Amino acid sequence: MPYTTSAGSARLCTALARDRLGVPAVVFFVMSAAAPLTVVAGVIPTGLAVTGLTAVAIAFLTVALVLALFSVGYVAMARHIANAGAFYAYISRGLGRPFGVGAAWVALAAYNSFQVASYGGFGAIAAPLLTGWFGIDLPWWLIALAAWLLVAVLGVRDVAVNGKVLATLLVAEIVLVVVFSVADLFTGGFHASAAPLNPAGLTGTGAGALLVMAVTGFVGFEQSVVFSEESRDPRRTVPRATYIAITLIAVLYAFSAWAMISAAGPDVTERAAVTGPELFFLLAADRLGSTAVHLGHALFLTSLIAAMISFHNIIARYTFSLGREGVLPRAFGRTVPGTGAPKNGSLAQSAFGLLVILAYALLGWDPVVQLFFWGGSTGGLGVLLLLTVTSAAVLGYFANEPAGENLWRRVVAPFTATALLIVVTTLAITNIATLFGVLPGSRPTWVVPLAYAIFAAAGAIWALTLRRTRPSVYEGIGWGARSRRFRLDGGDQW
Amino acid sequence: MLIAQVPLADDLYLAAHDTVRGRCVLTPATLGLGLSSAVLAELILLRRLDLRDERLVVLDDRPPPDLATTAVLGQLVREQRRGVRDWIAYLSTGVAADLISRRLTRAGLVQRIATRGLFGTRLRYVPADTVVTGRPGSRIRVAAERRELLGVPDLVLAGLVFATGLDQHVLVALDPRGRDHLFDQLRRRLPEPLHLLVGHAEAAVGDAVMARRA
Repeated sequence: MPYTTSAGSARLCTALARDRLGVPAVVFFVMSAAAPLTVVAGVIPTGLAVTGLTAVAIAFLTVALVLALFSVGYVAMARHIANAGAFYAYISRGLGRPFGVGAAWVALAAYNSFQVASYGGFGAIAAPLLTGWFGIDLPWWLIALAAWLLVAVLGVRDVAVNGKVLATLLVAEIVLVVVFSVADLFTGGFHASAAPLNPAGLTGTGAGALLVMAVTGFVGFEQSVVFSEESRDPRRTVPRATYIAITLIAVLYAFSAWAMISAAGPDVTERAAVTGPELFFLLAADRLGSTAVHLGHALFLTSLIAAMISFHNIIARYTFSLGREGVLPRAFGRTVPGTGAPKNGSLAQSAFGLLVILAYALLGWDPVVQLFFWGGSTGGLGVLLLLTVTSAAVLGYFANEPAGENLWRRVVAPFTATALLIVVTTLAITNIATLFGVLPGSRPTWVVPLAYAIFAAAGAIWALTLRRTRPSVYEGIGWGARSRRFRLDGGDQW
Repeated sequence: MLIAQVPLADDLYLAAHDTVRGRCVLTPATLGLGLSSAVLAELILLRRLDLRDERLVVLDDRPPPDLATTAVLGQLVREQRRGVRDWIAYLSTGVAADLISRRLTRAGLVQRIATRGLFGTRLRYVPADTVVTGRPGSRIRVAAERRELLGVPDLVLAGLVFATGLDQHVLVALDPRGRDHLFDQLRRRLPEPLHLLVGHAEAAVGDAVMARRA
C-alpha cells in the first residue's frame, strides 16, 4: 500500500507499548502473590518446628535454581499458547486434553488448600495479637470469618484497587523482612551458622519436606506468564520479570532464614516449636524494640490478607477460564460488568472457604497445624506435582512444534528441569510423613495423595466425556478466554 | 422503523449506559474493547474492511461518510500492523471511546459535561436522555421475544452485548427461549467476518479479565 510508512506504524506500537506492562509491574505482581512476610515469618519457623531440619536456606536456593530452569521452557511456551498462566493450558497442549483437565482439577484443589490454609493461619495468628493489643479475646474462627468476608467482598468488587494496595503492602513487607533479618545479625546470640547453607542437609531424611516447603514459598511466580500478551515485549518482559522475581525471592528467603537460624542458636528447631511464627519477631525484638515488633505483627497480618486476596483472585480466574471453555458450567465464565471481576468463580471460592472455616470451627480442629500447616503442605505438594507435569508438557509441546525456539529453551532446560522436579517430587512423596509432621501411615500421608489422584482421574474422565458428548468444547480445552463461543465450528457451545 | 437507526458503535455506547442515571455499567477497559470492535464492525459493514482469520484487510480506502470511521480507516491504511487483536487493543486505549462519544455529541445524543473537581476539570460524556440509552437493548430484546429476524447490524450489536457481558444488564429480562433464538441467529445469520470479529472481541474481554485489566 503506497501510504504505508514505518512512522505510521510506530504510532500504533507506541500506543500499545505505553498501555502495556513493563518488567517492574510484572515483578511486583508475582512477588505480592508470593507474600514474602507470610513465608518468612509463617512458613519458615513452622517448617523448622515440624521437620526439625535447618538446611532451609540451601533448600530455597536449590528450589530457586530448579524453578529458574523450569521457567526457561515455561516462559518460552507461554509465547506460543493461549491462556498462559494456567498450568492446565500447558498440560492440555503438551500432553493432551485429558491430562489437562485432570491438572485443572488438581490445581483448583491445590490453590484452594492454600487459600483455606491462610484463613486458618490468619485466625490463629491474629487471635493472640488482638488480645495483646486491644484486650479482646476472640475465637480464631471469628477472625478468620472476618478475613474471609473481606476477601469475598474484594473478590467480587474492583480488582484494580487491590493491585495498588497489594503493591504498597509488598514494599512494606520486603523492607520489614530485610530490617528484621539485618537486626538478627546484631543480636547477642548471633553466631553465623553453616547449617542452613549445607547441601548435605538436603540428603538426609525429611529433605523432601523441606523442598516442598521451599516450593510453597515461591508459589505465585508461575503467574508471571499471565501477562505474556499484555507485556511490552513478550520475548523479554515476562522472562526477565520471572527470573528477577525468582532471584529476589530466593535471596530474601535464604538470607532471612540464615539470619534467623544463626541468631536463634543451635536449639533453633526446639525454639521454633515453642514459639511458632513468633520466632521471627522475637529474635529481632531485643535490637529493634517493641514498636518494631508491633509494626511487624501488623504487617504480618496484612501480608496474610494480601496472600489470601491474591490466591483468591488466582482461583477465581482459573475457574473463569474453565467456565469460558465450557469445561465448568458457562456461568463461571461471567464477570461483573462494572468491575470485570470473575463473579461466579469468586463466589464459589468464597463458599468453599466458608464451609472449611465453619467445619473446622464446629469440629474443633486445630487451625495452626491442621489447617495452616497441613493446608499449606497440601497446596505445596499439589503445585510441585503440577510443576513437574507442566515441565514434561513443555518438553512434549516443543517436540511437536519446535519452531521459533532454540535447543536450550525447548529441550535441554525443560528436560533437566523435568528430571530435577521428578527427583524433588519423589523425595516429597517418600517424606510425606515429615511433610505433614505426623507418624508414617497416619491419615494425611495417604489421604492427600489419594485425593489428588482422584481429582486428576475425575478430570481426565470428564475430558473424555466431553470428547464424546461435546466435541467442540473438548477442542477448546486449554484455550481459556480464547475458546470462543462464537467460533463458526463451535455450533453446540452455547 | 420510526426512529432512524444510529450507527452500531453508538448503539453499543448507549446500551452500555444505564437507563436511570446514565452511568456506564461496563469498566472503561471493557467498554473500550466493545467500542473498538464495533467501529471495526462498522467498517466491515461499510465494505471498507474485511477480516480474514486474524488479519484485517483494507478493501476500499475511500473515506466513509462519517468522521469516526474515517479516522480509524485512515489510520489503518497508514499502519503496517494488520492483526485484529492489535487493533482492538489499540483502539480500546481510549481512541474508540473518544471518537464515538464525539460522534454521539454531534448527533445530540450525548452531552459533554465538565465537572470541576479537586484535581482540575474532568470531561464526562453523559447520555442526553435516558430513554435513548434503553433503546438499543430493548430493540434487541423485543425482536428476540417476538422471534423476529434481526438486521445484521443489530445481530453484531447483540453479539458484542454478549461478548462484553452487557447482557447481564440489557438482556436480563429476556427469557431463555428468546436467548436461544438470538444465539441461533448469531450462529446462522451473522456473516463470517463479523462472526469472527465478535469472537475476537469476546476473547479480548476474557483475556483482559485473566490479566486483571478488565
